[in-house]
Amino acid sequence: MELIMNLSINGLATGMLIFLLAAGLTLIFGLMDVLNFAHGGLFAWGAYSGVWVYSTTGSFVLAIGGAILTGLVLGFITEKLIIQPVYGNHIQQILITLGLMLVLSELLKVVWGPNQISAKTPSYLSGSWELGDVIIIKYRLFIIIMGLLVFGIVQFILKKTKIGLVVRAGVLNKEMVEALGINIKRVFLWVFMCGSAMAALGGVLLAPYSGVIHAEMGMEFAILAFVVVVIGGMGSFPGSLFAAMLVGLAGSFMAYYVPDLSLAVNMLLMAVVLIFKPKGLFAIKG
Amino acid sequence: MGKRYQLSTLVMIIAGIVLLAVPYINDSRSFLILMTQIFIFAVFAMSYDILIGFTGIVSFGHAMFFGIGAYATGIILDRFEPTVPTLLISIAAGILLAAVVSFIVGLLTLRLKSHYYAMLTLAFSGLFLVAAEKWRTLTMGNDGFTFRVPDILKDRMDYYFICLVVMFIVYFLLKRITQSPFGKVMVAIRENEQRVESLGFQVLYYKIIASVIAGVIASISGSLYVLSLRFANTSVFSMDTTLDALLMTIIGGVGTLVGPMLGAGLIEFAHHWLTELAKEHPIFERWLIFFGILYILVVMFFPAGIIGTIHGWGRKRILQRKSVKEQKSPAG
Repeated sequence: MELIMNLSINGLATGMLIFLLAAGLTLIFGLMDVLNFAHGGLFAWGAYSGVWVYSTTGSFVLAIGGAILTGLVLGFITEKLIIQPVYGNHIQQILITLGLMLVLSELLKVVWGPNQISAKTPSYLSGSWELGDVIIIKYRLFIIIMGLLVFGIVQFILKKTKIGLVVRAGVLNKEMVEALGINIKRVFLWVFMCGSAMAALGGVLLAPYSGVIHAEMGMEFAILAFVVVVIGGMGSFPGSLFAAMLVGLAGSFMAYYVPDLSLAVNMLLMAVVLIFKPKGLFAIKG
Repeated sequence: MGKRYQLSTLVMIIAGIVLLAVPYINDSRSFLILMTQIFIFAVFAMSYDILIGFTGIVSFGHAMFFGIGAYATGIILDRFEPTVPTLLISIAAGILLAAVVSFIVGLLTLRLKSHYYAMLTLAFSGLFLVAAEKWRTLTMGNDGFTFRVPDILKDRMDYYFICLVVMFIVYFLLKRITQSPFGKVMVAIRENEQRVESLGFQVLYYKIIASVIAGVIASISGSLYVLSLRFANTSVFSMDTTLDALLMTIIGGVGTLVGPMLGAGLIEFAHHWLTELAKEHPIFERWLIFFGILYILVVMFFPAGIIGTIHGWGRKRILQRKSVKEQKSPAG
């Protein structure tokens, strides 16, 4: 029982990290119908800039702020320069954002050097609690809480506020929203910036969790995020939360019980989902 | 159309003769290796173009087939006596495995829309990379392994000719395929999938065959690649390998076979040259940045690439001449 609890907490923490990354992808795809392959690059930039802020200022809160700011700025530049010319053309979006991914991860090496960088956990988040035999590592709990918080905030904004209403309406009918005097271009710019900021946040939260960061991690986690988005159903926000949890838990349990299969488990999950529900578990219409 | 076909064949034969003569003029070792590398990547890029340029499928996992060929050849030559029959068997094993894998991956994912397919192929090739790194008894993991090659491949100049001949065979084979009725259906799928479906063609069937062809050819190029290095490691499965093919194809020109070959030449030469420049200034070590930016600009402003843009000019001139004639003829 204790073992199951421990494994579950580990799995949920990993799942939440993947969710933060996948959520940005889902947001951008679900709302703007743009597929962003540079998402992993933004994630890595969040991690590097966050770790840099943390090591210079010593404040983890500032590090998170710095990463989010980096995400917003990079998101702004990306949307203006790269995404706007290719709205509505999927193949060009795929090609061009992949090129951006290349440039982003190489630039990372120019700025911070090609070697990996170690990242520390702040003292108030390191250590663990013991409840009987169940060990709860503080940082993992922190990640789970952050993930849920982001999910809650985004769901609230999308479903309950006027901004969310405008965004959802803009997705359904751009021209109508524009006719009502709302600058839909600017709304989409903000959506893209928020998605990028979520990726960057995921990056900075990952850094102390894994201990080291390197330029290739963007691609590694992007692949996991893609798997999650496919399993959850592209564009579905609750779907990606559920799928991220599923991938995280499957990974953590497999790593303990069937270690040989643990690396393939995501692909197997995805293959099974695709065979039975090609559009994902929580597919939205269209 | 028929005239252009003859013209391009003529250009190819002249280019072939020139390339056959090159080693007798400049036989420096590094130059021969660079040229051989270009031929190998030209084959790889052409196979990629069958997907992206002719059928309109964007795959991000093409490295998986390159790696399958590379590892199949490397492992079999390492385990058995390196003779010519073993060599042929090892290449055939790669081809067979690549065909099976491309068929299964295609069956699972080609029904889906373009972005799903791109993401899934990325994921599948990631799986192969992980497998190559973790299955140490078979692949020696990240360190890779060296192996002996048959004596016939030991001479650099001979290997140059072998790769050159393979490149030309693949070129004419793929040219034949793309100009066959099957190739016309592939191009039609690229242009308008729904319409091809409504004409009664099984789009999935054609897409799967295209991806099997591309996978098999990519596996051959992977085999040639490890044979030139006599060393196999996991980098053949990496995303960078797919990116190479993508850059070569896009910059050279999608939807043509000459384009990827030209792109392979350009990128390998530029890579070589920029690496030399790295001695002058360390920024050139990050030469991928230049390619990345160039690639983004090409996708944005010249989506047809170098060869496609040249063809575009030619076509425009022909159209202009036609319209001038048509304007004249009713009056005259």
